[in-house]
Amino acid sequence: MTPLFQPFLCGLRNRFFPGGRISSRTLLILAFGALLFAALYLVSLKTIFYFHSQNELGVILSLKIFEMAWMIVFTMLIFSSMVSGVSAVFLSHDNEIIFASPASLSELYLMRYLTTTFYTSWMMVIFSLPVFGAYGKIFEAGPIYLLILLPAVIAIAAIASGVGLAVTIILVRLFPARRTKDIVVYLSLLFGILLYFVIRLLRPEELADPERFPDFIEYLSRMSTPATPLLPPSWAADLLTGFLQDHSFDWLLAALLLLTPMVVYFAGEWAMSRMFFSGFSKAQESFGGSRRFQPRSYRPSPMLWFFRKELKMFIRDSSQWSQLFLIGALVVVYLYNFKVLPLERSPIPADAVANIIAYANIGLTGFIVASLCARFVYPAIGAEGSAFGLILTAPLSLRRYMLYKYLFYLIPFTVLAATLLAASNHLLRITGPMWWISLVTGLIITWTVLAMALGFGSMYANFKAENQAAVLGGFGAILFLFTAISFELLTILAAGIPAYRLVRSWRWGLHFSNPIMVQTVGTLLLIVLAGGLISLISLRKGVEKMADNFH
Amino acid sequence: MLKIENLSKRFGHHLAVDNISLTVQQGEIYGFLGPNGAGKTTTIKMIAGLLQPDQGAIFINGASLAEQPLLCKQQTGYVPDRPWLYEKLTGMEFLQFIASLYGVAQERFRTAVTHYLTLFDLLDWQDHLIESYSHGMRQKLIMASVLMQDQPLLVIDEPMVGLDPKSARLVKEIFKQKARAGTTIFLSTHSLEIAEELCHRIGIIIEGRLRISGSMETLRAEAGRHDSGLEDIFLELTGAWELKEVIAALKANPAKPSEKQP
Repeated sequence: MTPLFQPFLCGLRNRFFPGGRISSRTLLILAFGALLFAALYLVSLKTIFYFHSQNELGVILSLKIFEMAWMIVFTMLIFSSMVSGVSAVFLSHDNEIIFASPASLSELYLMRYLTTTFYTSWMMVIFSLPVFGAYGKIFEAGPIYLLILLPAVIAIAAIASGVGLAVTIILVRLFPARRTKDIVVYLSLLFGILLYFVIRLLRPEELADPERFPDFIEYLSRMSTPATPLLPPSWAADLLTGFLQDHSFDWLLAALLLLTPMVVYFAGEWAMSRMFFSGFSKAQESFGGSRRFQPRSYRPSPMLWFFRKELKMFIRDSSQWSQLFLIGALVVVYLYNFKVLPLERSPIPADAVANIIAYANIGLTGFIVASLCARFVYPAIGAEGSAFGLILTAPLSLRRYMLYKYLFYLIPFTVLAATLLAASNHLLRITGPMWWISLVTGLIITWTVLAMALGFGSMYANFKAENQAAVLGGFGAILFLFTAISFELLTILAAGIPAYRLVRSWRWGLHFSNPIMVQTVGTLLLIVLAGGLISLISLRKGVEKMADNFH
Repeated sequence: MLKIENLSKRFGHHLAVDNISLTVQQGEIYGFLGPNGAGKTTTIKMIAGLLQPDQGAIFINGASLAEQPLLCKQQTGYVPDRPWLYEKLTGMEFLQFIASLYGVAQERFRTAVTHYLTLFDLLDWQDHLIESYSHGMRQKLIMASVLMQDQPLLVIDEPMVGLDPKSARLVKEIFKQKARAGTTIFLSTHSLEIAEELCHRIGIIIEGRLRISGSMETLRAEAGRHDSGLEDIFLELTGAWELKEVIAALKANPAKPSEKQP
């Protein structure tokens, strides 16, 4: 084996088995992973069982979801490989040592390919197994199903990673961009378009509505045929579906799944041998070298300059702002869904359903806020990199530094959450107390989750990470998401009963009685108190830990 | 100006700094020398407030760093061995950011920045992104960001790394001038020539302990080498004297070309 793997393997060993022994941290991660694995399996089992127990249509629908899941896994892996590929192949710091050594490009490609595949897909491979494995249990496919499933998942990961890397290498060659990181913009946009096409090809909205088809036979036929027979995830889905239904095994599909990773790998290696050097040369050119920026006059205000610094670093880093396009698309699609909700076809009164959806929407908005916090706020402390030393040596307390960071993100996140809540309430034609319940609860959740993201981001800050996006797969980020979503769910559960009573009284035209008002105000105070306390504890813990992480 | 009392720092089982005490007077340039891994940077990081000591205390201008960290940091200018910078800011924006953190007045900022950017040949680059700067330019920028504040104590880790001869000469002159004006400078360096030329007193740290501290005369007397330069004294005191013999042998018997290539 090429010695190029040594840093990767030693890094893994030192991280998980420091001193040759399994560390308590590793055990904790394993326990957490096992718990998540079991939870995913049980939830999947319950969901698939629900579909499966309906009727023949339920079985077909569950298999259609199976195919969609494969498609989503594949697409996400390609995008993730493309983003990691730019960093790993062209921007990695060790390129200077490796490319200057007599190591061949094929060795370098093999190392980049396998390590990128590992980093981008280990989580997807491990956590897709309980979901797809649950199908085997429901369809009573037996242990052989699992023996087909595992290689199929690995093959799909290998193909996605190979395609992602090859496309990245070609893109870096094709686009004469001085800023190599700008390619991430193209990659993000490409992913958005790809995802759009995939979703359009699958036509998910038609699946739930047989009435849209002229007759039921056509609906069944649409459901039973693979949407994209030329794409590898369809091969994996079809191969496993065949086995799930009647234990048949399609050798052609198996061969395609087995051979395609090799074909894709050699195509990538070919692209690497012809295009890497020019792409790598371009990657080393600076974007700002020839460009002069407009100077501004100096005013001695730490907060003003802190905000200015944060903003400039965000705007000038294309890997950051390019994702705003995706957020824009996300918001549009999110709100569009509310516009097309068929409320009038519901068996219960439309305004009652609208109120229920508006309440559930607090959770959805909170989920979006938590995801965006994980992407932008959680890595914000570690992103300071070695320059964090400047903050530590400056006469600025870490508490104040944390406050500035919090205030910087507070405005955009408040605007985003308030816009999402207000716009969806407007589209749902919500009037009365639900408007305020959703806005107030949503904003408390947003402000708390923001503080949690900064707190966890400081506690697990990695000032040495080459790529802050990679930090998102780390233990701290997962813990943050888990804690943030738990807080959201608990808040929504706690506010459920008073919200229900308040809305019911309003809908029936009754006065808000004293007990209802006391319960409402009490719950609100409880949520504010809990949110404030969690925010304070998170930020304080972050302040305590962040300096230690720097050394 | 700078007083260190019984300072110790341990990383796991390794005692990086072991009970160091020293005092540096106002207007004095103190050179901190030692072999690689001796504990120089750890000591400097503790003085700059980056690392918390396990034991001991640091006083800057009479104020305890542990009790009044912000006051001490306000009076200390720290230049790290590797320049910490925000790559996506321009040189001028970086200087403005640092000045605002330390509360430098507008007028002082204007005159000092122009002065140091001109001295370091960075005036034409001030509005370009730092990511396009060379290593030397980065080092000069961070040096300018510290010098513009005119703090009473400068703590400098490897001041000449990456600087061209002209800039190195310039930095040495600035340090001398600053010291004459009353600034205290605590610097660590591997360049014995710089230490010999600049420093009023020199301390040598070995395996975390301050082996010796004093003027060149004190060091010569301790090493028993009354006519020697700092290099000989350093090698003697660090127990690396046998290296001299190895170097002499290498000079006398250089490798033949056939031995260089495999």
